[in-house]
Amino acid sequence: MNEERIAKPEIAEMNGAATLPRKNGEMVFHDDWERKSFAIAVSLANQGLFDWAEFQRELISSIKDAEGDNPLHPSRGYFESWLVSLENLLEKKLAKA
Amino acid sequence: MTTHNHDTPNPYHESARDDAENKALTERVNKMEALLLEKGLVSQDALDKLTDIYENDLGPMNGANVVARAWIDPDFKKRLFENATSAIAELGYGGLQGEHMVAVENTPEIHNIVVCTLCSCYPWPVLGLPPAWYKSFAYRSKVVIEPRKVLAEFGTTLADDVEVRVWDSSAEIRYLVIPERPEGTENLSESELAAIVERDSMIGVTKVSAP
Repeated sequence: MNEERIAKPEIAEMNGAATLPRKNGEMVFHDDWERKSFAIAVSLANQGLFDWAEFQRELISSIKDAEGDNPLHPSRGYFESWLVSLENLLEKKLAKA
Repeated sequence: MTTHNHDTPNPYHESARDDAENKALTERVNKMEALLLEKGLVSQDALDKLTDIYENDLGPMNGANVVARAWIDPDFKKRLFENATSAIAELGYGGLQGEHMVAVENTPEIHNIVVCTLCSCYPWPVLGLPPAWYKSFAYRSKVVIEPRKVLAEFGTTLADDVEVRVWDSSAEIRYLVIPERPEGTENLSESELAAIVERDSMIGVTKVSAP
């Protein structure tokens, strides 16, 4: 395993609302589209299309939106909020490009 | 969303979507992916590789493999306690950024627990993502003062004459607990042994039980 094979702490160790869903330390994906949208966001950040911090802010705000005043019963799941933030950010970035 | 009885409420652990919703989401993501591939902003290769890294290299399985090897191979075990960083690298697990790994062995006389009292230093490459409780102030402050009480909260009780050692991780040193091999596992293969080693036992808050 070389450097490239290591997950980035700034991504893997996100705290609070942005904390990645996990079980026994491992990431939990329910469906393939979750896996895919995760990989797209990480890959775009790796390429420098946006900073991870920028994505994280977007993610937190879309999770908060979904939670409203009932954090235990959000209107959509973690990766749906993830997807929404990714779409929002992409729209901004690609409009500029 | 349904209600859950996890100790830490997490509404995200189960998928509450039906097939139609999943299908719509799948199409949404596929469309995005196609656009990005077309623009050359992502590559299929990079996406596959990233998924593999985050999904497979982040779990505690690497640590479990180290433990299982130590249980069956006395020479490896010896090297592990002499220089854990290099012994662990023998199994192909590296990526430690300058930190030294130290392996500590649980025995009938000594029980080791790991904490990071200052922040959340954690042996990433072998244990994956740190659990939320590991980072909590409650665990970090309490385990040093009342380790037996913390152990009891994890359902682990030790005889009074067992010595408890608490190891404080730092940016330089990361600890891995090698739990005791449970009785009744003499006939298990290395991979069968690795499968029974759970993350918490390598932090030292639980013991490994036979399957």
